[in-house]
Amino acid sequence: MYQRFYTALLIVSSVALFIFTLMAGYREITPDYKSYKSEYRDLFRSKATGEFMKKKAESIDFSVQQVYLGKLNRIDRCINCHLGVENPLMEDAEVPFKMHSGNYLETHPVAEFGCTVCHYGQGRATNAEDAHGTDRETHWDWPILPLKYIDSACAQCHDQEMLAENGADRVLRGEKQFVEKGCRGCHKVNGIGGVLGKALDGIGTQPRAYFPMRYVQGDKTAYTWLKEHFDDPRSIVPESEMRIVLLKDEDADLLTTYILTIRADEMPRDYRRIRTGTQEVPGGEELYKMYCIACHTTGKYSVYDEIFKRTIPAIMNPTFLRVADDNQLRRFIEDGRANTQMTDWKEDAAGLTDDEIGRIVEFLAKSRPAKRGKLFGRSIFDGDTARGRDIYETRCALCHGEDGMGGKNRLGISLVTPVVKEADPEFLLQTVRDGREGTPMIPFGSSGINLSDQDILDVVGYVRTIKPTASPKE
Amino acid sequence: MTLFAFRGVKSHGWTFYDPINIMSKFFIKLIFITALIIPMVFLCAVPSSAQDDEEDYEAVLELGQKVYEVRCALCHGVKGDGKGIVGVIRRAEKIGRVIETHARDLTLGLFRFRTTPTGCLPDDEDLMNIISRGILISFMPSHEKLPLVEREALVEYVKFFSGRWEEEDPCDPIEVRKPDWVGSRVSVDKGEEVYRAMKCGECHGYEGKGDGPKSNDIFDDWGKRIVPFNFATGELKRGSSAENIYFTFTTGLDGTGMPSYEDSLEEEDRWHLVSYTLKLMNKLN
Repeated sequence: MYQRFYTALLIVSSVALFIFTLMAGYREITPDYKSYKSEYRDLFRSKATGEFMKKKAESIDFSVQQVYLGKLNRIDRCINCHLGVENPLMEDAEVPFKMHSGNYLETHPVAEFGCTVCHYGQGRATNAEDAHGTDRETHWDWPILPLKYIDSACAQCHDQEMLAENGADRVLRGEKQFVEKGCRGCHKVNGIGGVLGKALDGIGTQPRAYFPMRYVQGDKTAYTWLKEHFDDPRSIVPESEMRIVLLKDEDADLLTTYILTIRADEMPRDYRRIRTGTQEVPGGEELYKMYCIACHTTGKYSVYDEIFKRTIPAIMNPTFLRVADDNQLRRFIEDGRANTQMTDWKEDAAGLTDDEIGRIVEFLAKSRPAKRGKLFGRSIFDGDTARGRDIYETRCALCHGEDGMGGKNRLGISLVTPVVKEADPEFLLQTVRDGREGTPMIPFGSSGINLSDQDILDVVGYVRTIKPTASPKE
Repeated sequence: MTLFAFRGVKSHGWTFYDPINIMSKFFIKLIFITALIIPMVFLCAVPSSAQDDEEDYEAVLELGQKVYEVRCALCHGVKGDGKGIVGVIRRAEKIGRVIETHARDLTLGLFRFRTTPTGCLPDDEDLMNIISRGILISFMPSHEKLPLVEREALVEYVKFFSGRWEEEDPCDPIEVRKPDWVGSRVSVDKGEEVYRAMKCGECHGYEGKGDGPKSNDIFDDWGKRIVPFNFATGELKRGSSAENIYFTFTTGLDGTGMPSYEDSLEEEDRWHLVSYTLKLMNKLN
């Protein structure tokens, strides 16, 4: 009884195994590329006219072809399906037989450059799925690069001026976005830039595992991550403090193209065509855009910021520039403001040279009104701090907080910082007396609240004695 | 208070009380205290002369004016017209939109955060609430640390700016009884239906992010551009409890585009809408 059952089971499983083996064998001898090749041969035959071309059509090799690129450390097998890339007869054929667009292959022959050096993808793969690697659940590190970002690959070997001359200016336009939106205000590249965001060095060659893909809507690839992150940073990384720079859709693509060119690897010398011309020295305005504009925008108005949870001061308003001389401005930039998002920008912290800071100061100083404020005429702080405290608590604490730290839902900025403590008496006294245009800091002197000079002296004396509390209040 | 102080018998480290003794002493004390209090109440309730009242009111106004001019006039203006020297305040939202905030013009007597029906004046408690708690999101600071007398004087002084307070009386505040089922899944779903049916999304956005098709051209009664609430921020100006949301639907925000739904929605539906709002604000687990 049992014996018959086991015999039957053995027969059935043997048949199943046999069929499975046959199927595996059949799949092995008829890979995707073979059907493409036969399809291509038929197409080629029908299009070929001359004797020579006809012969060429007949002589198509059905075994796997590959381009071996020793110096680039690549093996590309793309040409097994994309058969017509170098065939002028295939100009209006369908993908994958279509001829490569433009004249790129004249200067970059497949035999010397392969395909993946520009298009990415897995060169060694022998089927489309693995070679392209773009599915939503892909796990390949190098998914094929969409054509809208393809310019980023050119920058591996070519300088951007050369690309711009040849119509591939998307990288250059992307870099313009990068500079003008002030990305470097928070992100370091080559050791220069702010410290609030992640350094971007080598981001273009990071494997996809580097990017948290959980909330990404489209393909789970690095470039989709970048693009969606530019649209709304907090939809991709919920705790992100990145500012939304309100890019248009196309600008976000341009910026993505540029970001992908920030790579950690370098092309072999033979391939590189980068002209090392004289680099243009960025002027003060450009530097302001690069490092300051993301937070301070035009600098004419102060804005309370929901991401930073504090008020961002207006650094270009005339009343501020009137009291802050160049040395003072330089100190603000070099040392920053403790306990705020304004970190120090001197060379060993953010990589700005003295000269560059000088140019930013020069740019800011352009908006300084010619007429200086009336001098207060004090060189030391000798106010009555106890009296100052009373005045502070009724007049100043409403905006700056009783702890003087500014912060969440407060219009005032932090006063508990070395910059205030060590500032010039004239600077502080005139600030309180004349206020700040374009900000809620109103004049407390005769043109506003009408505090006496003695009151101002007392209150400034008190402000300088406030000690920072343990942690900045949220 | 000696009403509850009783002597027990101490023994072995424990204190023993005799309940009958305690009860009788308690009532004796109670009778004595009541006998003392009743005449005092009558003494206090003796009506003072009208002239005294007038003088008191003058003194309160004077105090209110003093406090107002130091603390409030910077933004609301000495005349209460919202034209203080601080001027426009700007706030950059997380989504990158910059909102301009203007100080409230008190001369129209229109207030958003009330517990009274739409079209009514707020009662004193509403004003006191706002003065004490502030509206932190709009940078109106909290004045909780001011002595109560000064805050009460402020309430009187704020009323002084608008003629409405002489012409009308505040209505009775709306009563709130929060049902148990607020925040339940069924209620959230029903609330979503109400949200669709009442077309809340046209201003507040179909996903509640304050970005509906009409959101860009809404002006308040003072002619200033205002933006509909983005529920995703999770914090309402008047406070984020279920009761506060209910008040918003029921009283409306007078002076803005937010109407009262007291007549157009059943009480139950308003509570469903509260549930859905809480969900949009991410306040439900």
